[in-house]
Amino acid sequence: MGHYFLLLGIVAVGVGAFNGIRQASRSASANFGLFNQAVSGQSDFLIESPVQRLLEEDLAKLTRLSKEPDWHLVPVIEGSVTAVKNGSEDKKQLRLIGLDLLALGNLPTLAKEGLKFSDEDANWYDWLGSKNEVWVGQKTADLLEVKQGDSISFLASGRLVKMKIRMILNDPDGNLPDDLVLADLPTVQTLLSRPGELNRVEVVIDQVNRREDTAYLNDIENRLARELPQNLSLAPTQNRAADRAAMTAAFRLNLTILSLIAILVGAYLILQALDAAVVRRRSEIATLRSLGVDGSILFTTYVLEALVLGLFGSVAGVGVGQVLAFGAVGMLSDTVNALYFATSVEALNLTSIDVIVGLVLGIVFSLLAGWLPARDATQTPPAQVLARGDWSPGFSWLRSPVIGLGLLLLGGIALLFPPFVMEAGSNMPVGGFLAAGCWILGAALLSGHVLVLLAGWVRPFCSGPVFRLASSRLRDGSSRHRLAVAGLVVAVSMVTGMFQMIDSFRGTIEEWFDVRFQADLYISESGVTGAGTVNGIDPRLMDELLKDPNIKYADVMRICYAKPPRGVTVLAGVDMKHWSDQARQIWLKAPGSLQAVDGAEPALVSETFARRFGVMAGGVVELGTPDGTKKISPFGIFCDYGNEFGMAAISSDIWSDWTGSDRPINVSLYLRDRAKLLETRDRLRLAYPGLDVRNERELRDVALGIFEQTFKATDALSFIGLAVAFAGLLLGLLSIFDESTQTWQTLKHLGFSTHGFILAAGLEGAGIGVAAWVAGAITGLALGWLLVFVINVQSFGWTLLWTVPVESILWFGLLLTVVGFVSGMIAAIYWNFRR
Amino acid sequence: MFLNENIKDQIKPVALSVADVRKSFGKVDVLKGIDLKIDAGERVALMGPSGSGKSTLLNCICGIEPVDHGSIHVGGQELSGLKRGELEKVRRENMGYVFQSFHLLPTLNAFENVEFAAQLVGMPKEHRLARVTDLLEQVGLSHRMDHLPSALSGGERQRVAIARALVHHPRLVLADEPTGSLDTESGSQVLKLLKSLSEELEVALLLVTHDHESTRICDRVITMKDGALLAG
Repeated sequence: MGHYFLLLGIVAVGVGAFNGIRQASRSASANFGLFNQAVSGQSDFLIESPVQRLLEEDLAKLTRLSKEPDWHLVPVIEGSVTAVKNGSEDKKQLRLIGLDLLALGNLPTLAKEGLKFSDEDANWYDWLGSKNEVWVGQKTADLLEVKQGDSISFLASGRLVKMKIRMILNDPDGNLPDDLVLADLPTVQTLLSRPGELNRVEVVIDQVNRREDTAYLNDIENRLARELPQNLSLAPTQNRAADRAAMTAAFRLNLTILSLIAILVGAYLILQALDAAVVRRRSEIATLRSLGVDGSILFTTYVLEALVLGLFGSVAGVGVGQVLAFGAVGMLSDTVNALYFATSVEALNLTSIDVIVGLVLGIVFSLLAGWLPARDATQTPPAQVLARGDWSPGFSWLRSPVIGLGLLLLGGIALLFPPFVMEAGSNMPVGGFLAAGCWILGAALLSGHVLVLLAGWVRPFCSGPVFRLASSRLRDGSSRHRLAVAGLVVAVSMVTGMFQMIDSFRGTIEEWFDVRFQADLYISESGVTGAGTVNGIDPRLMDELLKDPNIKYADVMRICYAKPPRGVTVLAGVDMKHWSDQARQIWLKAPGSLQAVDGAEPALVSETFARRFGVMAGGVVELGTPDGTKKISPFGIFCDYGNEFGMAAISSDIWSDWTGSDRPINVSLYLRDRAKLLETRDRLRLAYPGLDVRNERELRDVALGIFEQTFKATDALSFIGLAVAFAGLLLGLLSIFDESTQTWQTLKHLGFSTHGFILAAGLEGAGIGVAAWVAGAITGLALGWLLVFVINVQSFGWTLLWTVPVESILWFGLLLTVVGFVSGMIAAIYWNFRR
Repeated sequence: MFLNENIKDQIKPVALSVADVRKSFGKVDVLKGIDLKIDAGERVALMGPSGSGKSTLLNCICGIEPVDHGSIHVGGQELSGLKRGELEKVRRENMGYVFQSFHLLPTLNAFENVEFAAQLVGMPKEHRLARVTDLLEQVGLSHRMDHLPSALSGGERQRVAIARALVHHPRLVLADEPTGSLDTESGSQVLKLLKSLSEELEVALLLVTHDHESTRICDRVITMKDGALLAG
């Protein structure tokens, strides 16, 4: 009975890992700051600029729209600020949303839901123009340990400001995110140093009870579209969620693939466990066969058993997934923060689709896993044949190299497939993933041959009975030995490949840092540290800062999102002369080596940008900017590992013309007297507490921190994969010993000691570990190459320096050998104890 | 007859001595006070119907099954009271076992199967190799030494098993239906081999069999029924 609970647990963990990661990544990355989501439930349409910035002139153009009685326009600005907890060093990043309170007061939905914005005020007019006041939800207030009327300090646009908490929003259902801060529109514009700017205008229809009426909505949409200025776009609100989701689609797909690996190794465990059940019941099956029971009945019985296990395990897995999702969502949202955009964790939402996907996956994989042992059961001979000795017919196809070699070849062919271009413009390296799958599976199928080969080499050196017995059994390479190695190879190759990718990434970034960051001090707003952030510094503050007497030169950078034909990219405004002549970069194409096209703005572009828009050899890319569509043409390409959307750098003046802004995002300072670096840093820190002032070493630490954050999910899943693979090894070894019962009985009669048996079992386990390491490491090297040179280039558009972490791989080999040895001994002790 | 037995006792050492051995499984008394002595070099056939307790007696003699009452001496060593490791030592040094289904180690070839038993008792390499070669020659398998059991016929496998049972100079060989899985001719060859080798090597043999023909190689036949010996 305990055995069945274990199997149910295995299915539950496999399905749970998949569902948990799926939910957590959705919750962490699809979240965005539509105020209505949090405050009043729903808006219907969004009016946006392609670059996500609306200026005052855009608002003026919307005047006619605002007079219509059928809808309400709610201008919104959003950004992030950092709350500094009173009396402590604790900081918390918050999402700041600025609303036009006048518009908000008119909303029908809000009135219905009755969310109170003030205790003492009779109506919303009273809290108009409430400068320097914010509203926070109960959860945020608890987190920051503040109450109504308290002051709260924020770091915003490089300044430290104090705001009063006007009221804590009553949120009994817990719908408000725990990082939400609301304020009046002008207050937020000032806080974020974005005067006259908006992120979007949300449209809420007046007749909210007609939201299901498609014809009505279409009519509204058409009317809105007719009056809409040309440079703005209109879309149903749900499309924005889809756009945001599309931005992180590649990230989420990667996670899905990784969680599928968790379910695959789970299936491997089920296979091993059901197989163990078949081997253990072999004499019972053989007796039934002798009595004339048909093979198909046995097959159906085992498949049904797998089905029941899959069904109940999946149901439990949905629950396990919820628990795992709670644990993983914070970690994943940190990663999204670091890589894509400021986000917060939304309440986890288990949908009926999640339940169905979980159930289907669990059942399908359980059936697949149960199929092979069920087939094996049908091949069990009648009792009289079985009585003649150890009998191991199952998985005999593992002895043939044909399928394995075929898969390796197929993987090679898959590399020829071009990447699939996703909605947001990201590339999905379909061929790369297919090749990885084929190579892992092919190597797993061939790994049994590696085991036999290695055991054959080692055997002449094995003289004692224990070593000789273990090596001879490994050299014989029974199907179950091969299956145990194959399962481990999947996990080992995956982990070895990941080791390399992460090490290559780390090595490349360190190298990039060494070359790229030659300035003395780096200054940015003290807030979101993620690569995708566009939080900026108040320009007046920057002017003030640059007056410091020790500053020789300041390389000021400004960035904003720009809209290529698909997805988004980053447009930077920089000092082009400095970037071309002095700033050190790892150049793929040095400035001037490409000829900028006449009539287009000359730009230095990142490798990601160049690959994404096909301008590695030069050309023109059209980008939507607040000033309309503009053409840029690269005259140099540099390596950049900041984001996967790519970056094009143009002259600051042009950037300001195109964007209507001069808000810097960061500045690199070159000092007159470098000996006074620390003194200057400390002086600036003291004078500008809202800015992060770092030297190269500190900046490197921050960047590597983001890097480590990014790979947390990968690490966690690799760990799950390995843990499951070792559990599979234990089960596999138990099957092997079950199948060798007669051999052990013989040895017992020959006076072979129990210690000898346990040691021999340990050596068998170690042998399996070594073979899995050799086959897995070779496959892992191929995977590393694939990840670095195909998947990374196609997904993110950047070239990494391939680093093979030899020492880690060797340690991993030692670990595998030791764990294999211990697993063998544990399995033998348990097996012996059971008998 | 009685006098002759006593004289024999004085001349030859006792290979196996079983005294008032009782064994029950639950409420079923399987062995009901067994007394048995086998001298060095003596061959004894143990016959009896299925369920009479023959296999249990063999397991008790091997030390695999502990007895409830009585004593068993193998080569003068009392088994009861020995720890598991000591029992394993007695088994590997003093006993050889021939199974009905051969039970060769499937991953070792004929030579290695025989050598394995010699290795277990720590026989020096040179002596061991010579001894294994010699024994395999004696059982007529010098040309099949490097074959795996799966490549050998039933008779050949049983001859390897006999060589394995004798390679470490045991005092007692227990043979459980050694011809049970063989055709008549192979069975006859195996019996001849067992007889000649036990004579030559002065090894006591306890042969469990259903086959009266097999008893012809034995000095004595005892019959077991319902857990008790009927004749000796």
